[in-house]
Amino acid sequence: MTRTTAIDRRGFVKAAGLGFLASLAPKSLMALERADAVYASGIRAADGSFAVATVTERGEIVDQVKLPARAHGMAFSAVSGRTVAFARRPGTYAMIFDPWHRSEPIVISARVDRHFYGHGAFSPDGRFLYASENDFDGNRGMIGIYDAGNRFTRIGEYETYGIGPHDMTVSDDGGLLIVANGGIETHPDFGRTKLNLGEMQPSLALIDAATGALVEKHVLPAQWAELSTRHVDLDDKGRIWFACQYEGHRKDLPPLVGHFAKGEELSFIDLPEQTTRRLANYVGAIAVNRSEGIVGITSPKGGASVTLDARTGKVLAETIIPDAAGIAPAKSGFAVSSYDGDFLSTRSDVAWDQHIVRI
Amino acid sequence: MRLWHPLLCLTLIGLATSAAAQTAAPPAGMNEDAVPAVMQRAVDEVIRPGYRNMQQSAARLTTAMKDLCDGGTQQTLDKAKSAFDDTIRYWSIIEIVQTGPVIQDNLFEHILFYPDRKGVGLKQVQALIAKADPKDATVDAIAGKSVALQGLTALEYVLYGNGSDDLIKQKGGFRCLYGAAVAGNIQREAGEVVAAWEKPDGVQASWKHPGPQSNDFMDNKEAVTALLGILVHGAENVRDQRLEQFYKGKDTTPRPRMAIYWRSKNTWKSMTANIDGLRTLWQKAGMAELLPPDKQAVAASIDEDFKSLLDSVPKLNPDIDAATSDAEKAKLDTLLAESRDLITRISDEYGAAIGLSAGFSFSDGD
Repeated sequence: MTRTTAIDRRGFVKAAGLGFLASLAPKSLMALERADAVYASGIRAADGSFAVATVTERGEIVDQVKLPARAHGMAFSAVSGRTVAFARRPGTYAMIFDPWHRSEPIVISARVDRHFYGHGAFSPDGRFLYASENDFDGNRGMIGIYDAGNRFTRIGEYETYGIGPHDMTVSDDGGLLIVANGGIETHPDFGRTKLNLGEMQPSLALIDAATGALVEKHVLPAQWAELSTRHVDLDDKGRIWFACQYEGHRKDLPPLVGHFAKGEELSFIDLPEQTTRRLANYVGAIAVNRSEGIVGITSPKGGASVTLDARTGKVLAETIIPDAAGIAPAKSGFAVSSYDGDFLSTRSDVAWDQHIVRI
Repeated sequence: MRLWHPLLCLTLIGLATSAAAQTAAPPAGMNEDAVPAVMQRAVDEVIRPGYRNMQQSAARLTTAMKDLCDGGTQQTLDKAKSAFDDTIRYWSIIEIVQTGPVIQDNLFEHILFYPDRKGVGLKQVQALIAKADPKDATVDAIAGKSVALQGLTALEYVLYGNGSDDLIKQKGGFRCLYGAAVAGNIQREAGEVVAAWEKPDGVQASWKHPGPQSNDFMDNKEAVTALLGILVHGAENVRDQRLEQFYKGKDTTPRPRMAIYWRSKNTWKSMTANIDGLRTLWQKAGMAELLPPDKQAVAASIDEDFKSLLDSVPKLNPDIDAATSDAEKAKLDTLLAESRDLITRISDEYGAAIGLSAGFSFSDGD
């Protein structure tokens, strides 16, 4: 989950300018004028093509930008307005685009000996784009560093100090890179096949953004070695919330959500048994609504979203949403999408992909 | 919307259902009444016989390799090669099942190490043969070594690689004894998979009876998703991991030495068996019965896709250098397109028709 300062519809319209607004179909323009917030998410269109869509908090699609292949995670820079759609693992492209069409999209490719893992984040000042990547021959996770001021040229990389990094984010002060090392080995020769399920070592790593040095590494307890850490987000106090997907026995009841801060041990949320079962031991996305102090998670396998109190960890709501996909903070609660085309109260003839970013 | 923990609802999405229900509703469109019979046939008429056939073939291969080591004649070599081809075929039929016991303890990789992108496995096999240490020519010794030394691709090099002429020059030579040990290891690994599937209260019961007591599937939807997953991933494997491993289209440079089983000219035989295995699962399990009445046309399209592929793949040139030459690339381009059609048909059209979201392969969250 990539956190930035979200802007509202007025900001979006102001930034867009007359040129962009004039390019919109009347229905999209009307949707935008009524909207309080705008999001971006990957989609698969009815014709099977892939795109990233901007969408209002009512679920009305405003605009689409075509993509070369299926996307996964998204990142947004409030400073530059640029938005990124990362290819789904083991993809090799990331598209950086301006939702207001003020500049041409830029497509970057992974190094020949790397592939993207589907997530990344901007530095708070918008100067750098970080991407989770796989050094598949070295079997180690990496963070690729791209220079936003030079057409996103790759200028370096850091280790993630683990295998199979997935989601990552950046602390609000830009000093720490926070990575969920899922612990699962993959190699592009074997597609999406998981190669080391018996020997996983998932972890969460805090990495110095200036030097790449490891600041802290939190390996999951041996009891939960098959609990892959997948997604992260930050609350208003800088606390790191993480969500997991379990590769062990389906009857087990692993802790699927937790949180920690720098200098602290991991704390797991003790979800009710029926909630854990409902989530099918698989959380696909997590988001924090900072203004309301709540945490939202979704499970496409379980077909559900769950809202937690960020202070107590108590379950506030559980909602059945078949094929629940992305989640992002809304003005009140969360915006949730589904593979079946639901985005809050609107159903569109698209399949929403796994992640949403508020722009 | 269905709330089962109605403390506070913050998100609203349509699909109103009962507030009391605790389990997922069957996917819209799926003929759920057919699920038990489909799962039963998939297990009892496809998967279990598939592994049993593989194990029996591996046993015949082990015997043939021992006869070769004892005899060292052209006739015993021919029989060993024939037995090897037979095992490739039976393995390729059932290797489409890349879930369940075969992926535990790396059994799959012990039977088949592929691809060997940088030739590391090949170098290991060559080094072992060159060293010719008799202690390395037992099943137990092989089982403790690198996966590259244990399975079908290692045995293919023994029978067809550089120096395989030695097999009929020297009775009981190391190369042959190592090959026999590899065959014995494959037989043993296959036996472990068979034992797991044949245990009456084991994985077969779990697959045939989805629900709270099952170790694998919470409900019918999960069970059907897994079955469909075998089809989709199997079809993707044929195209993405086997064909595209050495041919990605007319504008790319072919890499014929990356083709599976190119030395023994079993590349297309293996791919044909893969597709045959997929069709067998589709037809013998009766997966078309899961379709609602108004979507039966999807089944006919899938049948046609299978038929077309099974007509064309066996006719491709078994010499992969020739098959990837400019003169024959058009056939491979057709194969790329037809295999893509099959994937789309199964994943998107069939998956959507039985209510598994927007298409099966899409709903893999990550």
